[in-house]
Amino acid sequence: MKLNPWKYVVAIWMTGVVIAGFLISIPNIPILKQSARNLFFHVPMWFTMAVCFAAGLVYSIKYLNAPSPELDRKAETTTQVGLLFGICGLLTGSIWARFTWGTWWTFAEPRMNLSALGMMIYVAYFVLRTAFDDPEKRAKISAVYNVFAATTIPFLLYIIPRQLPSLHPGAEGNPAFSDITAPEMRYVFYPAVIGFIALAVWLIDILNRYKKVRHKIEQQRA
Amino acid sequence: MIFSLIQAQEDTSAAVDTLTKTYSQKWDAASNLQHANPVLKAASSHDLIFIVLGVTLVIWFVLLFFIVRVDKKLGNLEKEIEQSKVKGAS
Repeated sequence: MKLNPWKYVVAIWMTGVVIAGFLISIPNIPILKQSARNLFFHVPMWFTMAVCFAAGLVYSIKYLNAPSPELDRKAETTTQVGLLFGICGLLTGSIWARFTWGTWWTFAEPRMNLSALGMMIYVAYFVLRTAFDDPEKRAKISAVYNVFAATTIPFLLYIIPRQLPSLHPGAEGNPAFSDITAPEMRYVFYPAVIGFIALAVWLIDILNRYKKVRHKIEQQRA
Repeated sequence: MIFSLIQAQEDTSAAVDTLTKTYSQKWDAASNLQHANPVLKAASSHDLIFIVLGVTLVIWFVLLFFIVRVDKKLGNLEKEIEQSKVKGAS
Protein backbone atom coordinates (compact mmCIF):
# COMPACT_ATOMS: atom_id res chain seq x y z
CA MET A 1 0.00 0.00 0.00
CA LYS A 2 1.45 3.33 -1.05
CA LEU A 3 0.67 6.75 0.24
CA ASN A 4 -0.20 9.74 -1.88
CA PRO A 5 3.11 11.04 -3.32
CA TRP A 6 2.70 14.53 -1.82
CA LYS A 7 2.95 13.03 1.65
CA TYR A 8 6.48 11.83 0.94
CA VAL A 9 7.32 15.33 -0.25
CA VAL A 10 6.02 16.74 3.06
CA ALA A 11 8.12 14.24 5.02
CA ILE A 12 11.31 15.11 3.17
CA TRP A 13 10.50 18.85 3.16
CA MET A 14 9.99 18.95 6.94
CA THR A 15 13.16 16.95 7.55
CA GLY A 16 15.01 19.55 5.49
CA VAL A 17 13.40 22.38 7.46
CA VAL A 18 14.48 20.85 10.78
CA ILE A 19 18.06 20.31 9.60
CA ALA A 20 18.33 23.79 8.07
CA GLY A 21 16.67 25.35 11.10
CA PHE A 22 19.37 23.94 13.35
CA LEU A 23 22.35 24.38 11.11
CA ILE A 24 22.13 27.68 9.20
CA SER A 25 24.22 30.39 10.75
CA ILE A 26 22.11 33.14 12.26
CA PRO A 27 23.18 36.58 13.45
CA ASN A 28 23.92 36.83 17.15
CA ILE A 29 21.09 38.74 18.79
CA PRO A 30 21.55 39.65 22.46
CA ILE A 31 19.25 37.83 24.92
CA LEU A 32 17.77 35.64 22.14
CA LYS A 33 21.10 34.08 21.10
CA GLN A 34 20.53 30.64 19.53
CA SER A 35 16.93 30.61 20.72
CA ALA A 36 16.19 32.88 17.76
CA ARG A 37 15.96 29.58 15.85
CA ASN A 38 12.61 29.11 17.60
CA LEU A 39 11.30 31.45 14.92
CA PHE A 40 11.35 28.44 12.58
CA PHE A 41 9.25 26.28 14.90
CA HIS A 42 7.22 28.43 17.29
CA VAL A 43 5.84 30.98 14.82
CA PRO A 44 4.68 28.46 12.15
CA MET A 45 2.56 26.82 14.87
CA TRP A 46 0.39 29.92 14.95
CA PHE A 47 0.32 30.32 11.18
CA THR A 48 -0.79 26.70 10.85
CA MET A 49 -3.39 27.11 13.56
CA ALA A 50 -4.80 30.20 11.81
CA VAL A 51 -5.04 28.34 8.49
CA CYS A 52 -6.76 25.35 10.13
CA PHE A 53 -9.26 27.53 11.98
CA ALA A 54 -9.97 29.49 8.80
CA ALA A 55 -10.66 26.21 6.99
CA GLY A 56 -12.93 25.18 9.87
CA LEU A 57 -14.83 28.46 9.51
CA VAL A 58 -15.30 27.86 5.78
CA TYR A 59 -16.62 24.33 6.37
CA SER A 60 -18.95 25.55 9.12
CA ILE A 61 -20.41 28.26 6.89
CA LYS A 62 -20.76 25.73 4.08
CA TYR A 63 -22.53 23.42 6.49
CA LEU A 64 -24.99 26.13 7.48
CA ASN A 65 -25.67 26.77 3.80
CA ALA A 66 -26.17 23.13 2.87
CA PRO A 67 -26.04 20.72 5.82
CA SER A 68 -24.23 17.42 5.32
CA PRO A 69 -22.41 15.13 7.76
CA GLU A 70 -19.32 15.34 5.54
CA LEU A 71 -18.98 19.09 6.05
CA ASP A 72 -19.55 18.82 9.79
CA ARG A 73 -16.84 16.17 9.94
CA LYS A 74 -14.41 18.38 8.05
CA ALA A 75 -15.16 21.41 10.22
CA GLU A 76 -14.55 19.34 13.35
CA THR A 77 -11.31 17.83 12.04
CA THR A 78 -9.73 21.09 10.87
CA THR A 79 -10.59 22.66 14.21
CA GLN A 80 -9.08 19.71 16.08
CA VAL A 81 -5.80 19.95 14.23
CA GLY A 82 -5.83 23.74 14.55
CA LEU A 83 -6.23 23.48 18.31
CA LEU A 84 -3.43 20.92 18.43
CA PHE A 85 -1.06 23.36 16.74
CA GLY A 86 -2.32 26.25 18.89
CA ILE A 87 -1.53 24.32 22.07
CA CYS A 88 1.95 23.55 20.70
CA GLY A 89 2.34 27.28 20.08
CA LEU A 90 1.38 28.12 23.64
CA LEU A 91 3.73 25.52 25.13
CA THR A 92 6.71 26.45 22.94
CA GLY A 93 6.05 30.15 23.60
CA SER A 94 6.07 29.51 27.32
CA ILE A 95 9.42 27.74 27.16
CA TRP A 96 10.90 30.50 25.01
CA ALA A 97 9.57 33.16 27.39
CA ARG A 98 11.27 31.54 30.39
CA PHE A 99 14.71 31.98 28.88
CA THR A 100 14.26 35.36 27.22
CA TRP A 101 11.74 37.22 29.38
CA GLY A 102 12.56 35.31 32.55
CA THR A 103 9.16 33.80 33.23
CA TRP A 104 7.10 30.82 32.11
CA TRP A 105 3.94 32.86 32.14
CA THR A 106 3.09 36.47 32.80
CA PHE A 107 -0.31 38.08 33.02
CA ALA A 108 1.25 41.36 31.92
CA GLU A 109 1.76 39.98 28.41
CA PRO A 110 -1.41 40.49 26.35
CA ARG A 111 -0.52 38.21 23.43
CA MET A 112 0.18 35.28 25.72
CA ASN A 113 -3.04 35.60 27.66
CA LEU A 114 -5.28 36.42 24.73
CA SER A 115 -3.99 33.45 22.74
CA ALA A 116 -4.63 31.23 25.76
CA LEU A 117 -8.15 32.69 25.86
CA GLY A 118 -8.54 31.92 22.15
CA MET A 119 -7.54 28.30 22.77
CA MET A 120 -10.11 28.07 25.57
CA ILE A 121 -12.83 29.36 23.22
CA TYR A 122 -11.94 26.50 20.89
CA VAL A 123 -11.82 23.96 23.71
CA ALA A 124 -15.40 25.05 24.44
CA TYR A 125 -16.27 24.07 20.84
CA PHE A 126 -15.41 20.46 21.62
CA VAL A 127 -17.13 20.58 25.00
CA LEU A 128 -20.21 21.88 23.20
CA ARG A 129 -20.07 19.02 20.69
CA THR A 130 -20.18 16.44 23.46
CA ALA A 131 -23.41 17.95 24.79
CA PHE A 132 -25.62 16.61 21.96
CA ASP A 133 -26.71 13.08 21.14
CA ASP A 134 -28.49 14.03 17.95
CA PRO A 135 -25.81 14.43 15.26
CA GLU A 136 -27.77 16.98 13.22
CA LYS A 137 -28.40 19.20 16.21
CA ARG A 138 -24.77 18.86 17.23
CA ALA A 139 -23.55 19.75 13.76
CA LYS A 140 -25.78 22.79 13.41
CA ILE A 141 -25.15 24.34 16.82
CA SER A 142 -21.42 23.68 16.73
CA ALA A 143 -21.23 25.22 13.25
CA VAL A 144 -22.88 28.37 14.58
CA TYR A 145 -20.52 28.38 17.56
CA ASN A 146 -17.51 27.85 15.27
CA VAL A 147 -18.41 30.97 13.30
CA PHE A 148 -18.34 32.91 16.56
CA ALA A 149 -15.09 31.26 17.73
CA ALA A 150 -13.30 31.92 14.45
CA THR A 151 -14.27 35.59 14.41
CA THR A 152 -12.68 36.11 17.84
CA ILE A 153 -9.28 34.84 16.68
CA PRO A 154 -8.18 37.82 14.53
CA PHE A 155 -9.04 40.17 17.38
CA LEU A 156 -7.45 38.10 20.14
CA LEU A 157 -4.28 37.22 18.27
CA TYR A 158 -3.62 40.03 15.85
CA ILE A 159 -5.57 43.21 16.55
CA ILE A 160 -5.66 43.69 20.33
CA PRO A 161 -2.06 42.56 21.07
CA ARG A 162 -0.75 45.10 18.58
CA GLN A 163 -2.45 47.96 20.39
CA LEU A 164 -0.96 47.16 23.79
CA PRO A 165 2.57 47.43 25.19
CA SER A 166 4.21 44.02 25.11
CA LEU A 167 7.56 42.29 24.98
CA HIS A 168 6.38 40.05 22.19
CA PRO A 169 7.39 41.17 18.68
CA GLY A 170 4.45 42.76 16.92
CA ALA A 171 3.36 45.03 19.76
CA GLU A 172 2.43 48.70 19.81
CA GLY A 173 1.49 48.88 16.17
CA ASN A 174 4.68 47.21 14.94
CA PRO A 175 4.51 44.45 12.44
CA ALA A 176 5.75 41.25 14.06
CA PHE A 177 8.40 40.48 11.59
CA SER A 178 9.41 42.89 8.86
CA ASP A 179 12.39 44.99 9.92
CA ILE A 180 13.75 43.15 12.92
CA THR A 181 14.22 39.77 11.31
CA ALA A 182 17.46 39.04 9.51
CA PRO A 183 16.83 38.23 5.83
CA GLU A 184 18.70 34.91 5.94
CA MET A 185 16.28 33.60 8.54
CA ARG A 186 13.42 33.96 6.08
CA TYR A 187 14.93 31.31 3.82
CA VAL A 188 14.09 28.79 6.50
CA PHE A 189 11.09 30.52 8.05
CA TYR A 190 8.82 30.53 5.00
CA PRO A 191 9.57 26.91 4.05
CA ALA A 192 8.90 26.01 7.70
CA VAL A 193 5.47 27.70 7.54
CA ILE A 194 4.64 25.85 4.31
CA GLY A 195 5.93 22.57 5.74
CA PHE A 196 3.95 22.77 8.96
CA ILE A 197 0.76 23.73 7.10
CA ALA A 198 1.29 20.76 4.77
CA LEU A 199 1.83 18.52 7.79
CA ALA A 200 -1.46 19.81 9.24
CA VAL A 201 -3.20 19.02 5.94
CA TRP A 202 -1.81 15.49 6.16
CA LEU A 203 -3.10 15.06 9.72
CA ILE A 204 -6.51 16.47 8.69
CA ASP A 205 -6.60 13.99 5.80
CA ILE A 206 -5.91 11.04 8.10
CA LEU A 207 -8.48 12.14 10.68
CA ASN A 208 -11.15 12.78 8.05
CA ARG A 209 -10.65 9.38 6.44
CA TYR A 210 -10.74 7.72 9.87
CA LYS A 211 -14.06 9.39 10.66
CA LYS A 212 -15.45 8.43 7.26
CA VAL A 213 -14.54 4.77 7.82
CA ARG A 214 -16.03 4.86 11.30
CA HIS A 215 -19.22 6.40 9.92
CA LYS A 216 -19.51 3.70 7.24
CA ILE A 217 -19.02 0.92 9.78
CA GLU A 218 -21.66 2.46 12.03
CA GLN A 219 -24.05 2.59 9.09
CA GLN A 220 -23.40 -1.04 8.20
CA ARG A 221 -24.12 -2.08 11.77
CA ALA A 222 -27.36 -0.11 11.91
CA MET B 1 23.13 19.59 53.15
CA ILE B 2 21.22 22.15 51.10
CA PHE B 3 18.65 20.75 48.74
CA SER B 4 20.14 21.70 45.41
CA LEU B 5 16.88 22.37 43.53
CA ILE B 6 15.74 24.98 46.04
CA GLN B 7 19.16 26.50 46.12
CA ALA B 8 19.23 26.65 42.35
CA GLN B 9 16.12 28.83 42.22
CA GLU B 10 17.87 31.68 44.01
CA ASP B 11 19.41 33.04 40.86
CA THR B 12 18.58 32.64 37.21
CA SER B 13 21.88 31.36 35.89
CA ALA B 14 21.91 28.58 38.49
CA ALA B 15 18.32 27.67 37.66
CA VAL B 16 19.28 27.26 34.05
CA ASP B 17 22.49 25.40 34.74
CA THR B 18 21.95 23.10 37.71
CA LEU B 19 24.27 20.40 36.51
CA THR B 20 27.65 22.00 35.94
CA LYS B 21 28.48 22.64 39.59
CA THR B 22 27.39 19.27 40.87
CA TYR B 23 28.62 17.05 38.11
CA SER B 24 31.36 18.79 36.19
CA GLN B 25 34.05 16.75 37.93
CA LYS B 26 32.23 13.54 37.14
CA TRP B 27 31.83 14.26 33.42
CA ASP B 28 35.08 12.56 32.57
CA ALA B 29 33.82 10.92 29.41
CA ALA B 30 32.83 14.25 27.92
CA SER B 31 36.30 15.71 28.35
CA ASN B 32 37.77 12.82 26.40
CA LEU B 33 35.75 13.74 23.31
CA GLN B 34 38.64 15.76 21.90
CA HIS B 35 40.61 12.54 21.67
CA ALA B 36 37.74 10.37 20.46
CA ASN B 37 37.30 9.15 16.90
CA PRO B 38 36.64 11.74 14.18
CA VAL B 39 32.89 11.02 14.00
CA LEU B 40 32.35 11.71 17.69
CA LYS B 41 34.64 14.70 17.46
CA ALA B 42 32.61 16.19 14.63
CA ALA B 43 29.37 15.42 16.44
CA SER B 44 30.51 17.25 19.55
CA SER B 45 31.68 20.37 17.77
CA HIS B 46 29.77 23.67 17.54
CA ASP B 47 28.60 23.69 21.16
CA LEU B 48 26.82 20.32 20.72
CA ILE B 49 24.18 21.74 18.36
CA PHE B 50 24.36 18.49 16.33
CA ILE B 51 23.29 16.55 19.40
CA VAL B 52 20.14 18.64 19.69
CA LEU B 53 19.56 18.21 15.97
CA GLY B 54 19.98 14.45 16.36
CA VAL B 55 17.51 14.25 19.24
CA THR B 56 14.99 16.37 17.32
CA LEU B 57 15.38 14.28 14.18
CA VAL B 58 14.88 11.06 16.13
CA ILE B 59 11.61 12.45 17.53
CA TRP B 60 10.54 13.68 14.11
CA PHE B 61 11.30 10.37 12.38
CA VAL B 62 9.50 8.35 15.06
CA LEU B 63 6.43 10.60 14.73
CA LEU B 64 6.67 10.46 10.93
CA PHE B 65 6.92 6.66 10.98
CA PHE B 66 3.83 6.58 13.19
CA ILE B 67 1.86 8.93 10.92
CA VAL B 68 2.80 6.93 7.81
CA ARG B 69 1.83 3.67 9.50
CA VAL B 70 -1.58 4.97 10.62
CA ASP B 71 -2.16 6.43 7.14
CA LYS B 72 -1.38 3.07 5.51
CA LYS B 73 -3.53 1.10 7.94
CA LEU B 74 -6.38 3.47 7.24
CA GLY B 75 -5.86 3.02 3.50
CA ASN B 76 -6.14 -0.75 3.89
CA LEU B 77 -9.30 -0.36 5.95
CA GLU B 78 -10.83 1.88 3.28
CA LYS B 79 -10.04 -0.72 0.63
CA GLU B 80 -11.61 -3.47 2.72
CA ILE B 81 -14.81 -1.49 3.18
CA GLU B 82 -14.90 -0.66 -0.51
CA GLN B 83 -14.57 -4.36 -1.40
CA SER B 84 -17.22 -5.49 1.10
CA LYS B 85 -19.58 -2.92 -0.39
CA VAL B 86 -18.99 -4.26 -3.91
CA LYS B 87 -19.62 -7.82 -2.67
CA GLY B 88 -22.77 -6.72 -0.84
CA ALA B 89 -24.09 -5.03 -3.99
CA SER B 90 -23.56 -7.98 -6.34
